[in-house]
Amino acid sequence: MIRMLPVFNLLVLLATAVLIPVFSKRVFTKIKQISTVAMIFATVSSVISLAYVVQIEGYSIVFGGYTSAIGIELTIDAFSALFAVFISALAFLIIVYSFADITHEIDEDQYGSYYTLVFILLFAMMGMTYTNDLFNMYVFMEILSLTSCAIISIKRKKANYLAALRYLVLNTIGSLSVLMGIALIYMVSGHLNMGQISLIIRDIWQLYPGNIVVALGFILTGLSIKAAVFPLHVWLPDAHSNAPTPSSALLSSIVVKVYVIATIKLLFKVVGADIVTSLQIPPVITIVAALGMIMGSIFAIGQKDIKRMLAYSSVAQIGYIFLGIGLMSEQGLSAALFHVISHGFMKSALFLSAGAIIYYKNRRNIKLFDGLGYQMPVTMIIFSFAALGMVGIPGFSGFMSKFYLLVAILEAGVPFYLGVILVSSYLNAVYYLPIIISAFLKEDKEGVRTMKVEKLPKSMLVPLIIIGVVIVSIGFYPQLIMQFIELAVATLIN
Amino acid sequence: MELLTSILDHINYIGAAALFVIGLYTVLTHSNLLKRIIGINIMETSIFLFFVSIGYVSQGQSPIIQLSETTAIYVNPVPSALILTGIVVAVSITAYALSLIIKLYKAYDTLDYFEIMEKSQEVSSND
Repeated sequence: MIRMLPVFNLLVLLATAVLIPVFSKRVFTKIKQISTVAMIFATVSSVISLAYVVQIEGYSIVFGGYTSAIGIELTIDAFSALFAVFISALAFLIIVYSFADITHEIDEDQYGSYYTLVFILLFAMMGMTYTNDLFNMYVFMEILSLTSCAIISIKRKKANYLAALRYLVLNTIGSLSVLMGIALIYMVSGHLNMGQISLIIRDIWQLYPGNIVVALGFILTGLSIKAAVFPLHVWLPDAHSNAPTPSSALLSSIVVKVYVIATIKLLFKVVGADIVTSLQIPPVITIVAALGMIMGSIFAIGQKDIKRMLAYSSVAQIGYIFLGIGLMSEQGLSAALFHVISHGFMKSALFLSAGAIIYYKNRRNIKLFDGLGYQMPVTMIIFSFAALGMVGIPGFSGFMSKFYLLVAILEAGVPFYLGVILVSSYLNAVYYLPIIISAFLKEDKEGVRTMKVEKLPKSMLVPLIIIGVVIVSIGFYPQLIMQFIELAVATLIN
Repeated sequence: MELLTSILDHINYIGAAALFVIGLYTVLTHSNLLKRIIGINIMETSIFLFFVSIGYVSQGQSPIIQLSETTAIYVNPVPSALILTGIVVAVSITAYALSLIIKLYKAYDTLDYFEIMEKSQEVSSND
């Protein structure tokens, strides 16, 4: 029973997506109840399966009574279980937040379709984390890209249609190059199962190095389009800033990370770290990542719209994650995984508090944030926590991920990237600190200086506060998450 | 002669690569949104062709097991089965993209990408 929980997890998410349009006939409370119950189930069952997997080594589920070589296989190990917990817990908070916020963003008749799309999105992300089959991963990836475009275009505005179409075209090019890469890998290995491929590729990679390099090139390019790695990030600012705020939080903090997880699976599980290193691929990844860390921050400095600024900041943060991956070491990978989680929480805190500001004050321009700390103290404090974390102030989770990354860089002996991290942190400070300073130290035009807790709906405030607490507690006790990440890394590098 | 035979032997790879590049070129350079979608479809077709052709075994039969023949060589059925899924995905992406294009055409009265960009920037600067 406990072994099958991940499958139930997937089924419940899919069933919820189907049930919502059946039950919802314009009754929003019904949708809220169904989605809350489903998310509680998903979160609790992911936590249970993580607790179970930590005790035993990890196991796999094969469907349809086939052997794992031809059937579709789900692998539940420390890695996939940890990220299932991350996805479901963070999505739970964002969905609870969205119950109030979405009423400002989209029309009433669309609530049903919005939550249907969100649950299919979650289903696809969970599937991508669990799956151990390359083609199955491609199918989940396509479901994910279609639904993530659809939750952008659900807002009936011209800009959203354009952003969704651009996202869709680039996403499709990305998926197609991934499929091409899968075809090339299938050509030399004759398998689609990740475990089987990794066994065969160990013997044959010296026979067909060109083939494997081209395949990796196709797949990495495709996944980097989807994960918005620097030169391929062009779709991201429009898509993430136009989407309804809960969708932006979902897209920026979870969806992009799922592609990172897929990249890690490909590099470490399918091909293997030693082969990737001997094919000279890591330097390319680290250089591109370093470029992204600098350029993303520089673009973010010029933005006036808060959501666009946060979107560009994501480009820079994805650079940190890929830098950690590109080091190809245990420390680098654990720093990258840690940053996946800590950036997920920080970026969703930033997007959700920006959404709360838009909801309460209808301000998007950062020039208008003067004195906002007095009118919306809770929101702005959470915003400041996350922003300080992004800059890398000790005590917040972002500091710990930068610290781990620094240790990994020193271990790998490439001190050049140390400077890149420092410069990028300064650039982060250049665009985040003015917002905090003007919110708390400047006066509003109305001259209000009495601190008063804002009257936001509880379902918006509570998730924000929980995320804020998580950011601080990871900052002080990184071991809470690091112990699981060490187990997860052990399943990837052996 | 050697070159010619090697080209003939790998004609499926060359064809797939050519189609892939043609499709990518169409997507990246044409300003008409419909043509971009057609470009994506050409790219998809190239990969389907490639995927199916790597499953071909020379002189293989279609993989329907007949009990009387025990030594027959069969074509690998897995790529064809996978590509059926791929085609379904491709159709749904095309349908969704076309519906978005209809919405864009209604909003901007043009299918030209650059004109749409200009008009959308005018709108945002007026806000």
